[in-house]
Amino acid sequence: MTGAAILGTEQASKNSYVLLHVGNRRFALRSELVEELAPPVRLHHFPNTTALVAGVIVRRGRIVPVYDVSRVLCGRESSVHRFYLVARRDFGNESEPSAIPVNGECELSNSKLIPAENGEAAHFAGSLDVAGEKIQVLNLEALVSASAEAAPTAGNAEARQ
Amino acid sequence: MKFATTDAAKPRRARASEAVILFCIANQTFAIAADAVQEIRSTDSLGGTAIEIEQAEVPKVRHLVERARRTYYVVSGCAHFGLRVTRPTLVLILRQIRAAVLVDSIERMADIATVYPLPRGFQGDERKWYRGLTYLEDRVIPVINPGGFLTVEEFARLDQAAAVSIATQQLEGAVQG
Repeated sequence: MTGAAILGTEQASKNSYVLLHVGNRRFALRSELVEELAPPVRLHHFPNTTALVAGVIVRRGRIVPVYDVSRVLCGRESSVHRFYLVARRDFGNESEPSAIPVNGECELSNSKLIPAENGEAAHFAGSLDVAGEKIQVLNLEALVSASAEAAPTAGNAEARQ
Repeated sequence: MKFATTDAAKPRRARASEAVILFCIANQTFAIAADAVQEIRSTDSLGGTAIEIEQAEVPKVRHLVERARRTYYVVSGCAHFGLRVTRPTLVLILRQIRAAVLVDSIERMADIATVYPLPRGFQGDERKWYRGLTYLEDRVIPVINPGGFLTVEEFARLDQAAAVSIATQQLEGAVQG
């Protein structure tokens, strides 16, 4: 492979996004973070006080926390029957799978990132223009780690039961 | 991106299993190492020996019990885990910790092969509450960290309050006698 081809591949990867549905809206996530789209497996609940964590699913022998980001993105909890988009979340030098509930309709898109505008929430890294539709790109780390302030209901274990 | 259709826990290497007690609080199942529990008693059988402690700093504790010359603080499992209030019927008296825990019921004992670490995405009090998670018969069950029921500071506050309560009780006993 030539240098130009390698650069082209890297560029394509950089501009590759998974488009997903949360609630009634479409968002995008960098495809290099995405591990898989998991079917609607059982969501296991247990008491916790971490904002947005709705429970865990078991995928490929690993226990994966599920973040109900729809509470931040759409202002309400998502429906019960759902798929899970499993994405990598970095913790220092290590990473861990994390899942967000989606409705199952996902597609790949190669688009150029339009930087976030001033005043846009930190959990949006920017946006894409896909066939004339503006689709906001999620910054997963900012979304789940800063969600303690953003989530309307946080910190009550009973609420997660 | 892969689309996976099947889900199964990975087969694990054979390893020493650990005996746990599965118990329930407000319909939530927890596991605790069997060797972390000294004794399981009904709340009725302890009712006569429990001493009420008047303190507000550790609201999840309202009573103490004396067992084998040790003072055990009785922790409400519902209050500790933020679960809805239920009527506990049993008390787990812990072995290494001067705490006893009010629970609704014992489900059964089980052997678990693996305690998975709590995913790092969990960043709240649950990091103190649980040793990790176990996967048992298609259920993910939190494995209790017995040391997470009360902190050193909470023990100190409770010891102070308990000294007052015990002295008051002795005084009342002397007056009545």
